[in-house]
Amino acid sequence: MKKFNSLFIYLITSILFLGGCTNNINHTDETSDPFEKFNRKIFAFNKDVDKHIVKPISKKYVSTVPVKARESISQHLHWMRLPTIIINSAFQLDIENTILASAKFMLNGLTLGFYDLDDKQTNINKKDFGSTLAKYNVAEGPFLIIPFLGPKNTRDFSGFIIDKQNIANIAPNNIDDIHLLEVPINIIDVREKLSATLDSVYNSSDPYIKMRSFYIQNRRATVYNNKYKEAKDKEKDQAFEQLLQ
Amino acid sequence: MKKIFIFIFIAQIFFSFLSLQANANNIKKANETIEQMLIEVKQHALDTINLDPKERTEKVKLLIQKFININFMARATTGAFWKKATSVQKEKYKLALLNQIINTIEVHLNTLSTLSYKTISTEFRGKKLVYVRGVIEDPKKIKPSINILWKLAANNLKSFEILDLEIENVSLVSSHKAETISILRKNKGSFEALLNQLDKLK
Repeated sequence: MKKFNSLFIYLITSILFLGGCTNNINHTDETSDPFEKFNRKIFAFNKDVDKHIVKPISKKYVSTVPVKARESISQHLHWMRLPTIIINSAFQLDIENTILASAKFMLNGLTLGFYDLDDKQTNINKKDFGSTLAKYNVAEGPFLIIPFLGPKNTRDFSGFIIDKQNIANIAPNNIDDIHLLEVPINIIDVREKLSATLDSVYNSSDPYIKMRSFYIQNRRATVYNNKYKEAKDKEKDQAFEQLLQ
Repeated sequence: MKKIFIFIFIAQIFFSFLSLQANANNIKKANETIEQMLIEVKQHALDTINLDPKERTEKVKLLIQKFININFMARATTGAFWKKATSVQKEKYKLALLNQIINTIEVHLNTLSTLSYKTISTEFRGKKLVYVRGVIEDPKKIKPSINILWKLAANNLKSFEILDLEIENVSLVSSHKAETISILRKNKGSFEALLNQLDKLK
């Protein structure tokens, strides 16, 4: 059964990965969104789930769980993501990040990640398989809204599946149970942190477009290097200066 | 001939010095604008906490009009469609945009007053723009730090105004532009349809 699962995941990933290769739009402002109609339906579904389930739970979570405990849970979730960061930093030949993330993983492992013994002094760049694919010039592919997970481009969704599969492969068998518990806690944790942003998205004239714009701007700035950012800034500067004339 | 060359050389040095001096002044002024605005935002949050919501909104409006170039933002967020709008539509759109910014600031006003801001760097860009990069930090270290980039330019009165704000690489102008352009395209460029859509948000 496990073999079948792996095969299925790799098949899906390959299809999505190939989909990503066909659309090279890395350095433009425009977004490839051929599935907009379908995406809008999933977006509406996610919004309903958020309104009726996630937001009320998140509100209750904030009002009942003390700040320190919430912070500990958040730190533990971050610690659980460190192996993914270590693997992908190595893939991206970012030696400094690999060493720092490994050291932090081992150090905070003493508290299972619930307490940051480093006191947030080390700045670790978040890396995932989506950013590894971007590093090797794989195009981002069409924009997607994934049920329960929210916005992702095809490349990042493929990366997300591979990251989950990698962790399941390197960790002991009972990691699947931990993952099952991790997903809902993670959703509530992220919802709490993004509360103000999500409210501003839902109160806009076209929430779908606003969400897409927020995701793409933030993701591209995280994934691409300084050369890309500088080129984008120069482009924007020129447009601004023209408007100022 | 030799004297002319020496004169040109000295003049070049003199003008480069003047230009450097002007850039330094602009950088200083842009920094001061951001710092002054944040001081006033904090003060407003404290002064207006017990005020009637309408009065509070009015005070926030004055603050925004003082520091943000709404005219520029309106043009930047509508792209080529701006030229097609009538002057009445343009004014209505500017007001709608102003109200949207007021709403955003009001939601975050109380939170903003508890956080601290630190300027990281200031950079002169092109002919008119100044970038001020900073970080908003929670003194209690509970909330994560937020990276901010302010884009400013001097107006006719030589005082600096904010043209755009990027929070964690998300530009206010770009996200507004994506929204308005999408609505305008769907409605074949009708500004009236855009204004109706924005009116529904009130």
